Formats: sequence, C-alpha cells, structure tokens
Amino acid sequence: MNRRTRMMDELDQDIRDHIERETQDNIERGMPPDEARYAALRKFGNVTRVKEEAREVWSFIWFEQLWLDIRFGVRMLVANPGFTTAAVLSLALGIGVNSTIFSVVSTMLLRKPPVHDPDRLMMLCSRNEGAGAGPMESHDPVSPLDFLDWRTQAKSFSEIAAGSSFENDIQATLSGGSQPERVPSGEVSANYFQVLGVSPLVGRTFLPGEDQPGHDHVALVCADLWKSHFGADPHVLGQTVKVNGDSYTIIGVMPDTFRSFWVFPEQLWIPLVFTPEQLSPAARAQHSLSVFGRLKPGVSEAEARSELETIARRIAASNPETRKDWGANVLTVQQYAIQESNSSTALEFLMAVVGFVLVIACANVANLLVARNTARQREFAVRAALGAGGFRLARQLLSECLLLSLLGGGLGLVFAEWGLHLLRGAFNWNEWTILIAEQLSIDHHVLWFTLAVSAASAAIFGLAPALQVSRRDPNAGLKESSRSATAGREHHRLQNFLVAAQLALSLILLVGAGLFVENFIEEVQERPGMNPHHVLTATVALTGADYKDASRQAAFFQNVVRQLSGRPEVQSAAITSDLPYTFPGYVRIAVEGRPALKTEQQAQSAYFAVSPGYFGAAQIPLREGREFTLADNRDSVPVAVVNEEFAKKLFPNQNPMGRHFGLTHPGEATNGSTGTRKWCEIIGVVGNVNEYVGQRTPRPQVFEPFLQHPDPAMMLLVRTHTEPLAFAPSLRRAVWSVDKDQAVTNIRTMGRVLEDSGQGDSIMAELMAAFAGIALAMAAVGIYGLIAYLVGRRVHEVGVRMALGASKREVLLMVLRGSMRMVLVGVVMGFLVSLALPRLVMAAFQDFPMTHRNWIIAATPLVVILVALVSSYLPARRAAKVDPNVALRYE
Amino acid sequence: MSTKEQRERIELLQGTLDLLILRTLLLGPAHGHAIAKAIEMRSEDVLQVEQGSLYPALHRLIKRGWISFQEGTSENNRRAKFYRMTSKGRRQLALETSKWGKLAGAIARILMPTGQEGKS
Repeated sequence: MNRRTRMMDELDQDIRDHIERETQDNIERGMPPDEARYAALRKFGNVTRVKEEAREVWSFIWFEQLWLDIRFGVRMLVANPGFTTAAVLSLALGIGVNSTIFSVVSTMLLRKPPVHDPDRLMMLCSRNEGAGAGPMESHDPVSPLDFLDWRTQAKSFSEIAAGSSFENDIQATLSGGSQPERVPSGEVSANYFQVLGVSPLVGRTFLPGEDQPGHDHVALVCADLWKSHFGADPHVLGQTVKVNGDSYTIIGVMPDTFRSFWVFPEQLWIPLVFTPEQLSPAARAQHSLSVFGRLKPGVSEAEARSELETIARRIAASNPETRKDWGANVLTVQQYAIQESNSSTALEFLMAVVGFVLVIACANVANLLVARNTARQREFAVRAALGAGGFRLARQLLSECLLLSLLGGGLGLVFAEWGLHLLRGAFNWNEWTILIAEQLSIDHHVLWFTLAVSAASAAIFGLAPALQVSRRDPNAGLKESSRSATAGREHHRLQNFLVAAQLALSLILLVGAGLFVENFIEEVQERPGMNPHHVLTATVALTGADYKDASRQAAFFQNVVRQLSGRPEVQSAAITSDLPYTFPGYVRIAVEGRPALKTEQQAQSAYFAVSPGYFGAAQIPLREGREFTLADNRDSVPVAVVNEEFAKKLFPNQNPMGRHFGLTHPGEATNGSTGTRKWCEIIGVVGNVNEYVGQRTPRPQVFEPFLQHPDPAMMLLVRTHTEPLAFAPSLRRAVWSVDKDQAVTNIRTMGRVLEDSGQGDSIMAELMAAFAGIALAMAAVGIYGLIAYLVGRRVHEVGVRMALGASKREVLLMVLRGSMRMVLVGVVMGFLVSLALPRLVMAAFQDFPMTHRNWIIAATPLVVILVALVSSYLPARRAAKVDPNVALRYE
Repeated sequence: MSTKEQRERIELLQGTLDLLILRTLLLGPAHGHAIAKAIEMRSEDVLQVEQGSLYPALHRLIKRGWISFQEGTSENNRRAKFYRMTSKGRRQLALETSKWGKLAGAIARILMPTGQEGKS
C-alpha cells in the first residue's frame, strides 16, 4: 500500500480523534455535551476541504485539474463551433506563416552542414585587411601556394583539404552522350572527402596520390548526375566521362545532400592538380581555392585562428609584393555557408514581419475571447460563487486557450507545408536555390518552434481576457442581468484597444510592404540601358584540345555568329563575355599621361569583351564614335569603347574620343611595373547598361573587341524577329553546325535574365505583399467581429432609441462613429510609427533597402480607414435594420 | 457579520503554519490535537488557526521529510499518532526562523520608521 493511500485512510481516524479530544476538552470546561461537540466541529473547520487539501498534498493535483480543464475546454470548443473555427483559423494563419518562414531559416541558417562532426570542420580563408571589412566578414578564397604552405605549417588541424571554388574556371563537358552538356565541376585535393567526412554512395573517393599528375584521371559524380545521365546504374564505376576533352574514369557516386551548403554546388569532381604557373610566386595573388581543415582534438577554433593568422603574417612578410595586407581567417563551415548565402538579413526581416502577422492574429483571438467571456459571465459568476478562486478560473480559461493555440499550431503546420510547397516552386532561379528548395521541410527545429510559438500566442491572446474574468466580482456578475442595456465599460475598452492595436500593426506592415514593393517595381522598371525584348541568350564554353589556342576560339565564335546571322528569324547576333544584369568582372584603369597610381588606387570599371555588332544587337545606343568591326583584331591597334559614366568619371569635361588608357585584370601583374603597357584608344562612347537589378547609379564600363581578347567561355546574344524561346533549338543547331561536341547551356530570354537577377528581391516583394494582405484582412475581420458583437449587445438599446424616434440613418451613424473613433486611434498610432519606419528598418536590419516614399506613407492610412469603414458598415447596417417592436421584446 | 473578536485575530500567512508546527515539535513529539492547542496557547489566541488546516500541513511536512510519525498511546490510554521532528526538519526550522526574523524586521522597519516619526 503506498503512502498516499495509507495517509488518506488514516486521516479520517485522525480527524475523528481530534474532534473527540476537542469535545472532551470543552466538556471539561463545563459545556453541555451537544454544544461541546458542535463547538469542536466549528473550530475544526470544513472537514471535506481539509481532506481535499490533504489529498492535494499527495497527488499531482495540478495535472488532475489540468486534465479536467482540458476535457471541459474541449466540450466548450465543440459547443461553440463558430467561435472555435474563427479563432483556430486566425491562429493557424498567423502560426502558419511563422512556421513557413522559420522552415527557411532552419534550412539555411540552423541546420548543420551534412558533413561529419560539422562543428570541428573549419573553413580556412584569406582575409583582406586592406578592404576595411571586419575580421569575420572577410573570407576570400586561398591561392594554391598559400594552401600548400598552410598545409605544411599549421599544427592545429589534423588534415587540410582544398577544392577549386570558381565555377567558371572548370566546368566539365559530359560528352559521349547524345548531346554534350556542361556540368559545374570541382577540382579537389585527394583528401577532400575524408576531411569533409562524406562517404560515397557507390564506389570510393580519391586515394592519396591521385592528385599527382599522371594518376589523376579519375572522377566522382553526384547522385543527381548519376540518376539523370547514367540511369542510376550501379555499374557506373569504370565508365569514362570526357572532361575538358580528357577522359576520366568514374570511381564513385557522392550523395547530393552536402552540396547545398555551397553557393556554387558542383556535380562532378576530379583531382586537383596544380600547374607550374599556379605555383609561381606571382600566383599567390590568385585566390582560387576553398580550403577546409579538421581541428585536431582539443584545439579550439580561436587557437586555430591565431595560429593560421601567425602563419599568414609570416608569408606576408616574405612575399610583400603579393601578400601585403593579407591575413587569414578560420570559421566553421556553417558560419561560412551562412555568410556566403548572404540571406540572414532578409530572413531576419521576414521573421519580424511574420511576427507582426502573428500578433495581429492573437489580437483577433483575444477579441473573440473577450466577447465570448462576456457571454459566459453568468457561468463564471456561478463558478466563483461555488468557490472557484480567481486563479482557478483564469487557469481554466488559459487551458482553453492552450487547446485553441495547439489546434491552431497543428493546422498552422498544414498551412506551412502548403506555403513551403509554394516557396519550393519559387526557389528556382539557379542551381543552388534549387538545392535549397529540395531541402526545405518542416524539421524538428520547426516543430519545436511551432510548439513554442503556439504556447506563447496562447499566453498573448489568453492572458488579458483571463485576467479580466478572474478579477471580476462574482456578485456583480450574478446581478448584472442580460437585459441591462449596455455591458460594463471595461471589456469594451480592452476590445477597442485590441482593434486599434491591430489596425496600427497592419498599417505599419502595409507601409513596410508598400515601400518594399515600390522599391522593387522601381528596380524592375528602371531603364536597363538596352532593349531586353526579343532577345535569346546562351552560354558556350569551349572545351577540348582544339581550342587551347586563342585564335581558334575567336574563329569558332565568329563562325557561330555567321551561322546565326544567316537564319531568317534572326535580326542580329553577337557575343559577349558577360550579359547585362549578370554581374560582370571588373578591371582597373590607368589613363595615359596621368601620374602612375598603384593598382588598388586606380579607378574601377566593369569589363566586357564583345564582338562586332554587339551594341546593335543589344540595342545599346552609340553616343559617339563607332562600333567594333572585324578589322579590330589581333593585328590592329588596341581599341576600346566606353560608356558615358566612364567618360564622365575619367574624363570630366573632356572629350574622351581618341584618348588612351591601360587596364589591369584582377590578379594580373600590376600594369605599372611591367613597362610594356599596351595603351588602347577610345573609339566610341555608348549608353550606360545595368549590371544588376536595383543598381542605383551607373558604373564605368569598358568594352574591348573580342577578336583582340578571345576567351573560351562566351555568351551568345541573338535578337530575333519571332518569339525568342522558339528559336532555342535552331540556336543549338547553329552552334553544333560549327562543332558538334560543344555544349550550349543556360538558354534564357533576356527578359528571364533580368527576372533571375532580381529573383530574390521579387520573392521578398511577393512575400511582403502577401503578409501585409493577410494582416489587413485579419484586422478587417477583427473590426467586423467587434462591431457585429457590439451591435448584437445593443439591439435592445437600439430598439429603445428607434422607438423614441431615432432614424435608421442616425443609428447607422452612431455605430459608425463609435467604430471610427477606435479606427482613428489605431491609424494615428500606426501612422506615427510609419513615419520613422524606413529609418527603423535600416537601423534594425543593416543594409536593408527601404527608401522613404511620402505618397505610400500618406496613402496607406486612407486604405486602412476605407477597409475599416467597409468592415464596420456591414454590421452597422444590420443595427439600422432593427425592428423596434422585435428588439424591445428581445431578451 | 464579523465580531470584534474575529477581526482581531490574524489569518496565517502561507507557509507560516508549517513553521509553527516545526517550532512546536522542537519541544518533543506530540499528537495533532496537542499541536493545535500548543499553537493557540503560545500565541495567546491571536493567531487564528482553523484546527483542520493543521492536517494538510502535517501531511505536507511528512511528504517533505521534515517530520515523521509513529502510532502510540496518549495520556488516557487512547490511540494517537505522534509526530516527531526529523533532523532535516530541524535544519529547515533554523533556516526558516532566520528568514522569518529578517522578513519581520524589514517589514517592521518599513511600517514603523522610527527616525522619521516626528516629521510631517
């Protein structure tokens, strides 16, 4: 028998003993026996309550009562299906948007990279101390010589591995199939996958020594590629693929999951073999490698960082010409991936926005609760009269709220799954976002988050109504008859405040969304500087031994342009190193006849190499001079075309035509030191062209003739007479008619290029607009609900007024006036915050674009007032339709 | 409704009853009725203890291990349950007593600030 049962069994006896003793004492004091017993009982107090309290000592009474509360709560929710549906839907919307956005946060920021022991896997980066970035922000790739030095000198790491991180430098062409295809590929050191701790699905990874020349013709493919190109054939091992014209034997298949942590995810890996040029002292300036190191047991991240910093300083001291101002940095792969993805600010901002939406939803539910609690006033009064304390009453209400919010959270997860489905479809603008989209899911972080948010919202929306009930005097509740004309003022004040707060919050959200969307529309509609309509673009990157020679590259592309131009659908065709809106590379400019500056002090300019006819095909206006012609080739003098911004910046108030300048590509030997400078002459000036969506100010741009500066990887730009996308097959055929082994990739219309460039912003704009819309709709429902409720409570009063001669119009106005008072309070509060909103947002989320637009801040309150008017007009009209005869009889 | 006598009695603060019970048991084991009588007598009837509330408190103290009990017979040979303080209870009493002293002192200082009585 347990202690509880035994104690409780004996308690009866104890109480009897006690009362007997007390009676005996009283008798001894001279009381008559009857009175003595009665006095003893009175002195003892309520026997039942004593027993109950004693039982509470031994039981988990809290849980038992909670269970009662929950069962009662379920019955109450079932009994009021209208209330329950409205509250659960509000909450589900509010919680759903939070869980959706949090799923993205979890996928991109919280999940550990799917490598072995991710907290001990470090990224080793070069750090540019001259760039003015904070120590944690700068994480540049590493040059091969630095990597080799770090690997031999650093003692903090058990092993260090490297992978080539520039996607354009090595892209393999899988040929041998029906159509050649370019595959983003990586060159990695032999120990790369061991250091990462990723095991192959099939076969093996690289062996030590396979990154030595002569042993390096082995390749690994990712599971995606394995499925799409080899039909997931388990006998893929031993098959050969052609990469850049050379044959490689497939030795293994790697899983896909770990790739999404790299912004440029590769699909195929070959061993990293350094060329003699890469190992020359000057090549220390060429940052091309991602370097990974696994910490030795017991070594901390900080220790590793300071060791690497020391090594980097030593290298800098002995190689001042290339390594001056370069340090090193160590950060975990997760930190690195987060910084590379550059998404945390946007996600924090979105979390704040959905937080607002949830608060509005909670205000809605709180309002519903207050209204319903008023209807239940009698019930509470009876409970209180029967001995329920304020705390007990409040607890029962809170349990009901918890039930509501858990239901809301559950349905919210369903909404979130649906939201994620939409988001997955929208995350489609490059290889990396597609991988992210595949990873988006409701994981355990999201489940915990949803649970916490549900509980928190129960506290938010349940607390005020519960406190109100627990404080109310039961006597008043019993006395206040349902016939009293208007209910007590206090809960109306709470309800009015809630609706005003909702309106204020939705106004702020709407203004924020408005500013953001306006900003975005401006970006999209800005003049691109060229005509993007009827243009098809594609990428061709020449591979194979045939094209090692620059003149062969030039000849190939010239042939392709000739083929394309011959087609009847084609208006004009040209090639360029970078399209507008695709973030071109940059060069440093030295003007002839001016004092020589150090490279890093020279003016920057975007750089393009273009074919003759490019400006015509893109319809970039020529302001002065001439376009390139076929005569501007390797044998002629170097020439260049610049844009207006270039002319304005470098030749202010001068005629740039005929002037000479020299340019240095990043990583090239300084143009000042060689002495054999080749000046090129400016032969034309063109209009400014945008380099990315949202570019506010033009940058200097310089164009060189492609024939003087050929490159194996170029973009085709074809202006068609017909629908551009329909021309895609002909474009492929035109390229293959020149060389059937070259892959044509990335075929997009110019319009799509623009869209893709601003895709992240466009998703943000759509989300903002959607959330603000949800917020406003919920606030409208809130007003509607409150006014309808108040009108319902005032039917009797309205009846009296009308019987005394009030017109329908007066009743309508009376109701509207009441609602407008709280609407205006809310709108004014929201408006005042909105005035400072751009500044607040910029302060809270660094670099988040939000410009001040007076018309949006001025117009949005009008929209909110209009919506509020409509939502209160509907119930107000019902009040005006009240028939006094019916209303006066109405109980 | 309430007589003068009732108004002059003070309802016990939460947890104070536990302290009083422990203090009473410091003098030696006692049964329930005796404890109630002792508290009433020692407080000169100022403290209003509903005798019944003693029992939940006793159960609470047993559960916490501050007191124990055993069956025995009382003066007039009647069956009774004798409660006895444990060493854990003794420690707890010392702790609570010093806490109580501090609290009472602090409240007294706030309610009756001796230094400022003359000022307006």
